[in-house]
Amino acid sequence: MSRMGDAALAPVRSVGRSFTDIALQTGGIAVLALQILRRFFPPDIDMRELRRNLYNMGNRSVVIVAISSFFVGITMVVQATILVQELGAYSLVGWGSAYIVLRELGPVFVALMFSGRVGANNTADLATMVVTEQVDGLRALGIDPISFLIVPRVLAMIVMCFTLTVIGDAVALGGAAIIADRMLSIDIYVFWKGVRDLVHMWDMWLGLVKSVGFSVIIAMSSCYYGLNVSGGAPGVGRAVNASVVTSAVGIFISDYIITFLIG
Amino acid sequence: MTRVEKRFGRTWALRGTDLTVPEGCFQGIVGPGAAGKSVLVRIVAGLMRPDSGSVTVLGEDVTQLGEVALQKVRSSIGMLFQGNALFDYMTVGENVAFPLRRLMRLTEEEIRERVAERLARVGLGGFEDRIPASLSGGQKKRVGIARATIAHQPLIIYDDPTAGLDPVTASKIFEILKAEQSGSGATVVAISSDVDSLVKYTDRIAIMDKGLVHFCGPLSDAYTHEDPFVPAFLSGEYRRSA
Repeated sequence: MSRMGDAALAPVRSVGRSFTDIALQTGGIAVLALQILRRFFPPDIDMRELRRNLYNMGNRSVVIVAISSFFVGITMVVQATILVQELGAYSLVGWGSAYIVLRELGPVFVALMFSGRVGANNTADLATMVVTEQVDGLRALGIDPISFLIVPRVLAMIVMCFTLTVIGDAVALGGAAIIADRMLSIDIYVFWKGVRDLVHMWDMWLGLVKSVGFSVIIAMSSCYYGLNVSGGAPGVGRAVNASVVTSAVGIFISDYIITFLIG
Repeated sequence: MTRVEKRFGRTWALRGTDLTVPEGCFQGIVGPGAAGKSVLVRIVAGLMRPDSGSVTVLGEDVTQLGEVALQKVRSSIGMLFQGNALFDYMTVGENVAFPLRRLMRLTEEEIRERVAERLARVGLGGFEDRIPASLSGGQKKRVGIARATIAHQPLIIYDDPTAGLDPVTASKIFEILKAEQSGSGATVVAISSDVDSLVKYTDRIAIMDKGLVHFCGPLSDAYTHEDPFVPAFLSGEYRRSA
């Protein structure tokens, strides 16, 4: 009876454990966020670290984001080609591309790329520093790891994700304009006229607001899992995995919330 | 430290440990694996809080201090970690200069001079631009020693400074540590699993087992100590039987 009861309760226990884990991790991320915010009053930011992180996160991601965004832009137009030809809606191609890229595809796509490229790297970097006692090394020198390591990384991620989203949007629209010209013979002027006349500034701002929200999620989850690694070197891999999954889920959930609230 | 206790779950790391280190001496701490040596020095360095007991470091009871006050005490301690804890993304020169940049107001010229002098002292003159990954185990230790001692802190802690090194390199490292301590007059606490080498260089020795300090005093007194574990451990009898 007891064994049967245990077996029957196992799924319930498993669900309970999952909820407890999620609550613990969400709480941990919230505490880390408060610790980071406290470092801004008064500001305590290591500028050398900030510059290094801006360079590493931005410079090394810009090419891959540009190439991927270009293909996203042209694929979008290729997908729409048949419908546009059937309906003769050539003048709407510019508007349609810009509307989708600026409001949704650009920020989400760049955030996912950024999470895989920069967020994962950040988690691995921090987790390795914890495992090899480098973080304790900082503390032993009387240096606050949150101020020295985390604050510059969070700031650099926010700045760079925003910047890469602007670049990604521009390149995706450029790619869409070029392929629209080649495949649908839509003059680039007509394409841009559609963008200029029908797309509102708010469409662009909404995407950029989203990119800031996404970057905060990526920064917080990548730093949290990096700092809270356990289990030595194998733990680093698990931390990276958890960070990327949490970031991706967070991006989609927050995308819905932001769109619902202000979109 | 007085009656310090630390537990991890059901495992005791320190069970009412007492230890006093006189100022300016080279204190060695030895003991078998899982004796609580690393936990002890991490508590002294303020990197870990004990469950109970008091720990006075440089006149401050670190168990009573908040994080900000603790940071000030930590900045007066130089520490070499078992795995060196060198920052991978910095060059050797930047690693050694790091405490100076963060803790002192010196010009870049002064920092460069002190880094060059410190690296020369540990036999790594001209290694400023190398990255830690390109160094051997012994060289990394030396960089760690240079970083731990560059700010002339009054207390230096070495956590197993010869772990994983061959006997010749280990002896050289201990010679550097002793020379550093003699030159600076700092209080040094070194734990090591290389008992035979460490005892040659220390002024005093503490012998730990299962979270307790069995002996603490001059080495000469240890061989005749009443607790049979102490002479047995030092003579190697205990280590061979273990």
